[in-house]
This record gives sequence, structure tokens and C-alpha cells, in this order.
Amino acid sequence: MAPGLPAEESKLNYAAHIRYWRRNLKTFLPHHYTGNDSNRMMLALFILSALDILGDLQGALSAEERQGYIDWVYHCQLPEGGFRPSPATDFGPARNDENKVWDPAHVPATFFALLILTILGDDLERVKRRAILAWLRTVQRPDGSFGETVGEGGRVEGGNDSRFGYMATAIRWILRGNIEGPLGRVPDIDVDNFIDCIRKAETYDGGLSESPYHEGHAGFACCAVHALSFLDRLPVDKPDGRLRGITNLPLTLHWLASRQTLTLDDEDSIDTLGDESDSAATCHDAHSFLKLGSYPSSAGEQSFKDQPTSHFELQWVGVNGRPNKIGDTCYSYWACAPLKVLGYLDIVDGKPIRRWLLDRMQHLVGGFGKLPGDHPDIYHSFLGLVVLSIFGETGLQDVDAALCITNRAKRQLESLPWRRKILGLDGVQNSDWAQDGGIASVAGYASISGG
Amino acid sequence: MPKYYHDDPAWSDIDPLPQDDGTLHPLAAIAYTEEYSEAMGYLRAVMAKNEFSERVLGLTEHIISMNPAHYTVWLYRAKTLSQINASLRDEIAWLNPTALKHLKNYQIWHHRQTIIDALDSPDGEADFIATMLEQDAKNYHVWSYRQWLVKRFGLFDDEEELRWTESMIESDVRNNSAWNHRWFLVVGGRDGQAIGEDVVAREIDYAKRAVRKAPQNQCPWNYLKGIVRHAQLPISTLKDFALEFADMRRPDDIYSSHALDLLADIYAEQESKEEAERALHLLATRFDPIRAHYWNYRKSLLEQAGTAA
Repeated sequence: MAPGLPAEESKLNYAAHIRYWRRNLKTFLPHHYTGNDSNRMMLALFILSALDILGDLQGALSAEERQGYIDWVYHCQLPEGGFRPSPATDFGPARNDENKVWDPAHVPATFFALLILTILGDDLERVKRRAILAWLRTVQRPDGSFGETVGEGGRVEGGNDSRFGYMATAIRWILRGNIEGPLGRVPDIDVDNFIDCIRKAETYDGGLSESPYHEGHAGFACCAVHALSFLDRLPVDKPDGRLRGITNLPLTLHWLASRQTLTLDDEDSIDTLGDESDSAATCHDAHSFLKLGSYPSSAGEQSFKDQPTSHFELQWVGVNGRPNKIGDTCYSYWACAPLKVLGYLDIVDGKPIRRWLLDRMQHLVGGFGKLPGDHPDIYHSFLGLVVLSIFGETGLQDVDAALCITNRAKRQLESLPWRRKILGLDGVQNSDWAQDGGIASVAGYASISGG
Repeated sequence: MPKYYHDDPAWSDIDPLPQDDGTLHPLAAIAYTEEYSEAMGYLRAVMAKNEFSERVLGLTEHIISMNPAHYTVWLYRAKTLSQINASLRDEIAWLNPTALKHLKNYQIWHHRQTIIDALDSPDGEADFIATMLEQDAKNYHVWSYRQWLVKRFGLFDDEEELRWTESMIESDVRNNSAWNHRWFLVVGGRDGQAIGEDVVAREIDYAKRAVRKAPQNQCPWNYLKGIVRHAQLPISTLKDFALEFADMRRPDDIYSSHALDLLADIYAEQESKEEAERALHLLATRFDPIRAHYWNYRKSLLEQAGTAA
């Protein structure tokens, strides 16, 4: 990349992005996506939410298509509650008590299904909401972590990192807000135990990891922060005595801000490997170190030659997921979204990150790739778009950074009568509150249907 | 060569269960190859019958080669292995090349843990990990798996484990996964107990030597600060060391933004507000401008502290 300013102002190519997402919605995805066959509900959410963020959802869907998509999501709902991520595990009429363990309710699929229904304007009345809430408790392990499914003998399957905790707490927030304790006969998850789990995953450098003492990673940091926000346990100074996550906020802010990098492509990344000098070519995290002769190695001297000495690279700033890693489109979401949710987005400069996404990651056919020059894929294209919206890109709908849906869709969810009733927002709770043993939070019990 | 089942006599007793996408408007439908589509039909049919057999192992292997993220197929395979008493060593021999093909897959590692746990021995795992790290020395799954092995087989105090970690840092001093693994061994194995003074001194010395090799490398700085915090030493313990790389009286002779960052913290703690501001100003304007907003935020905190006092 030649030094100097680009000739044109960086631009989001709306028309291309809309074409890209409409194609993903209306035509078969190429067979390269076969490895995502078990994540179809996630791909579906990304496709629909992207069109909503681009302001194209109304235009892209006929009423019949909208209903058809809603029906497909309900088609993936299990008789016992919860969703499967696609019909790939559905045994049809052959499904029975002996084999249903191979077709289990899936935490990510349930999270994505609820969001899709919300985006499409469904009222979630056909969702087995009470059954899902009861099931959430069974995907939580004794150590507080969440898995993705319940397997044979009630064993919780899947990793114990914050990804599933993020989605489980989001499901809980969608279905019952942040009310703690049992809701009628439906038990709550063990919130404190889960918070403890997040606290133990905090790392010595301020990141959050997969499990205690593992390496800090922006993806796990993001999932943990989002989960704290759904549970109303963010690290804020409130004298309510509740256990909160992120025990050293200044250190975590330092770690998140440190994810901005000038290692922007594979060549930059190779330069740093095995080269212990600190030249402009190897110090991508602080490019203005131009102290020739300090701690030199012959390799460093070689790579230093002919390098520019101004920091023109500030035109583009990338974001990585761990120290000394290359910038990657998706990490701009995983590192910036938690800052937004924590209320500290202004400690990073969105402008050079935006230029990096638009000039170097945006693809001609629409969408974003993982690295410069890569073809776009649904995952990176979606997260790139969400980040631009988080930074206030003109023309994009504003999003809820933790749910990854537009605030329009979120408001639609918050306006649903059954949900308002649970949260006691309509002042009519008195008629329902008293039943079921007089527990204060039973307002919504009667309105949680199914299961 | 694609593998099909409909013309295979060994499968003639099975009626495949086709996928039912329900409506005219499925979401995120994938243009499956005929091979995948057919194999999945047979998988659904055997799962529906809870069949655990040698041929099912072959079928799950086939599906995994096309879709390694199919989470229940791995669980089904694990159950099949135990039901037919298959050789777990053979399973590991098959998993090795499979893991190399799918470097970023989650499920494969979980499966490996299940198998190695049942075998009750870590033999051969170090060599396999070395092969994986040759492909990607910072692969998160591989390091996580190594940490599981250390925990499962009680290798925290194994000198070979620490030596190996040092060799990984030696070959790339910027590999944060290797640094973290050192922390995992030195601090993580103590189960919350404080580390001894001799170990603290050894770790501080180790990190300082790494900083001297490449002062603008964030990993050893983070490690150094982590150890000092963990040992509950005052951060000013590191002042003289930081000054070696960033003496603000000579701003043209600064070798490390991380040293300036540390000095800003030390000066703030010592209530030398002006010096702390100067360090943050140098960071924002000269030595780490990509984080200018962050350094300015840190400056604003100094001002707030000043007003409060």
C-alpha cells in the first residue's frame, strides 16, 4: 500500500451490500457453507439483521416471504421447547424419547431464533417460553458456566466459555427481562454462580479468557460483557451489594484499547515473527518508533530499510483479538462492542477503524472479508456492518451492540404485551401478582405460555 | 471420489431420512452436494434407530470430513466408540490428521479430551501439539487443549513443561499464547495460593530479559506488571527498569511505549501529576498515536483525581 491519503473519501457501498445480503437471503448459499450446516439459524439471523441495519428489510421481503421465514423458524422449534439450528437433525415422525437426545434444543439456535422472530415482527406467542426458561437452568453447570445442549443423562455438552453464557443470558433477558428469582414455578438460573465464572476468566493483562488462566481473547471478553449487561451486573458503582463482573475495569479498558493495531495484513504479521528488533516494520503497535540503531538485528535493519518514517498508516487502524495478532474484521466487533456496552466507546477513535473496514476489508461485490483481499463471508460481513453502525455510520440503522439487532427491532420486542406484563410495565400486574404463593415476580407467570 | 450409500450393499437395510425444510421459504439454505445430502439422510436414519456399529463409525467420519462443526455427530461418534469397544488409540491416530485439516474447529478438541481422558495417559500428546503449533503457533484451541492436559495429568510442576514453554517464547518472543501458558503454569497451578518470593524474583527477571530483547513487545510488559500486581508489590518497584527505556528528560531516546505507559501509572500513583501527564502526552502525540483517545482519557482521569483532592 503506497503512502499518502487515498484519492477518494472512504464510502460504504450500500447498493453492493444490499445486493450481497439479498442474494444470501433469496438464493442457496454455496456449498462452501456446508461446514455451517449446524449454524443455519445464526446465518439466518445475520442475513435478516444485516438487511434491517441497511434499512432494506421492508423492501426485500414480501408479506408471504416474511410469513414463510417465520414459519421456518417455528418449524425448527422442538416439541419440548427450544430450537434446533436447522432441520438437519430432525427425524420427523421417527423422533421419540429414545432418539431425541441427538436432536436437542440448542442454546445458540434458540437465541438466534428469538432474534429472527423479533426482527420479522412476530409476537413470539407460539414460542414455548416457559419451557425455554426452565431448560436454561439445565444447561448451566455446577461451576456456573453454560453449555450448548443437554446430552445423555442430563450431561451438559459444549464448551464452558462465555459464548454460551452470553446467549443463555440473552435468551433470559428476551423472555423475562432482568427480573431475578423464580418466576412462578419457573426457576431462575444461578446468576451469582455465573458471575463468579466470568470473574475467574479475567486474565492478568485485563482480557477475558475461555476458562481460568487461559489466554485473554476479545471474543470471550465481548461475550462476558454482554452477559453482564443482560444480567444488570456490569461493573458500576451501585450500593446494592450485588456481585458484579470485570473486577479491574481500568485494566480491561487498557486491554480492549490495546486491540487496535497496525498489523494489517499477512506480510506485516510475518515481519514480526522471529524478528526481535524494533523497527517501523516490526513494531506495528506503535509505528512511530524510529530509533535506528537501538536493539538492532541484521534482519531488523534489513526490514527497516526503505520504510517510510511518517505514520501515514494512521489512515487505517485495524483491530485484533489478542496481543501481537493481525487485524481481522470480526475483532473490530468483538473489541469495540464491549466498549460500547461498558460506556467507553470514545476511548478508541472510530474514524481510522472505519477507513480500514471500508478501504481494505470491504469487497467489491459487497460484504467484508476477514483479511484484506479475502472474499466476503456472512460472518465477517455482518460483524463489519454492526461495527460501522456502532460507530454511527450515516445511513445505517442504529443497533443494540449486545443483541446485534436494530434498536427498532429491540423496541418491537420490548413492546410485546406478554413481556410488558412480566416486567410489570403496564400497571396491571396486581391481578396476576398474587397467585402461585405470592412470590413477588409472578406477574408474568400466567402470561408465559406453552411447555 | 465421492462416497455414496444407496448402491452400497452394506447399507441396503437402511432407508435414509431426507431433510425436511418445512416451508417454501427456508432460511440460509445451503446448496449441499449430493454426497453430503445423502450421507446426512443415512445419519438421521441410524441416529433415529440408535444404531452403534462399525459402519456408523465410517459414516460419522465421512460426515465430519464434510462438516466438522456438526456437534451431535461428534457426541454420537463418542457413544459409538464406547458401545462397540473400539480402539481409542486408533481413534487418536485418525484424529491427528483430521485436526490438522480443521485447525479452527471447536468440537474436535472436545472429542480429543474425551478420548485422552478415557485412555488416562498423555503419551504422544506433546508431539502432536508440536505438529499443530508448527501450523499456527498461536492457535487458541491448541493452547487451551495443552492447558487441559496439564490440569488433567498434574503437570504444573513438571520442569519439562516450563522448559518447553520457554522454548516457545524463545522462538517467538511476541507469542502471547506462550507467555500466557507460562502464567498458567506459574500462577494458575497454585490454586489461588500466593507464589513464593523466589519465584516472583525469577519471573520478574525472566520478563525483564525478554523486554530487553524487544522493548516494544507488549507481552513481557503485561506479564511483568501482572506478576508485580499478583505479588502485591508496589508498581514503583518497576520504576528504574521502565526509565531504562523511556527517560522523559530525553524524549528522543525513548524505546518503548509500554515503558511510558507504565511510568504514567507509577507517576500517577506517586502523585507526580505533571510527569504522568507528560508521559501520556508523549504517548498520544508521538509514541502511540493510534491510541491517542485512550491516552487522553487517561489524562482526563488525572485531572479528575486532581479536582477531587
